[in-house]
Amino acid sequence: MIIPVRCFTCGNVIADRWEEYSNRVKGGEHPKEILDDLGISRYCCRRMFISHVDVIDDILKYYEATARKFHNV
Amino acid sequence: MELSSIKQQDNAIRFILSGVTPAFANAMRRVMIAEVPTMAIDDVIIIENTSVLFDEFLAHRFGLIPLTTDLDSYILPEKCDCNSELGCNRCRASFTMEIEAKDDMIVVYSGDLKPDNPVVTPVNNKIPIVKLAAGQKLQLEAYARLGRGQEHAKWQPVSVCTYKYLPKISIDMKKCDSCGKCVKFCPKCILEIKDKRLVVKDIEECTLCTQCIKNCPKKSCPIKVEWSEKDFIFNIESNGALPITKIVEQAAIQIGEKASELSSLMKNLE
Repeated sequence: MIIPVRCFTCGNVIADRWEEYSNRVKGGEHPKEILDDLGISRYCCRRMFISHVDVIDDILKYYEATARKFHNV
Repeated sequence: MELSSIKQQDNAIRFILSGVTPAFANAMRRVMIAEVPTMAIDDVIIIENTSVLFDEFLAHRFGLIPLTTDLDSYILPEKCDCNSELGCNRCRASFTMEIEAKDDMIVVYSGDLKPDNPVVTPVNNKIPIVKLAAGQKLQLEAYARLGRGQEHAKWQPVSVCTYKYLPKISIDMKKCDSCGKCVKFCPKCILEIKDKRLVVKDIEECTLCTQCIKNCPKKSCPIKVEWSEKDFIFNIESNGALPITKIVEQAAIQIGEKASELSSLMKNLE
């Protein structure tokens, strides 16, 4: 849905670095380099980033579409 | 008891604690994880939430935000005499949030929480909580209180908190011909050949895996990997709620308090 606030395994706060990570991945950088750069050293925290899909962006689209439809009626 | 080889970096610390028993080292670790009090949001009163995340999901995310903890002006609710469900000024800190996405999608961050007491604030203002589409609204009150990690992991001041024995590697130079095979097999690269002699570079990095012994071509291996049961390498990482040195200090105080409580109970029996 949205990036978890903390790593499931070690409890380290990771959410604050998600936006930079996702922007840089979109920019074509290799995830390994970004994670090293952001100081995410343990593999438990690293998998939180590489395996995450931000589904909330897709769900917001449905909300916007229904709101628009409702508005037009 | 002795503290040496202290390496501190931002929120992480690494040190060697010497002259203690494994029982004490483990007690320190467990108290740091489960019994050092920190601040975390515990009650969230949601007034309006039209976001795509349901109320419990939001409350959980608020709970996980580390908050700067002031142990001098706040006390644990169970030690407070206010007996109120939501607590008093001594045992809780409150936050409010009112945010609406007007024309465009916005991201709600931990920094949008408005604290009543500026001493207790989110450690990091850039934690995304939820995304709001145009027209969605969020209005809530949140109450933070002191708690312990044994109750919920959100009150844990540390993320990593480990210790290991201090390794000891001895090389019998009469038997070793410094062929360098073990240097190649060591996963932590702590061995090296210096002036045609096998030496240990960084003993603290050793994980006691004994790959150097298993891969030695000699019949009787000249390398001996041992460890000291009196010296411990501690590795601790704070999530920012408390400064890292304060966590260790508080853990020692907590153990001390328990011991003095027991001693006073025993005194009453006399």
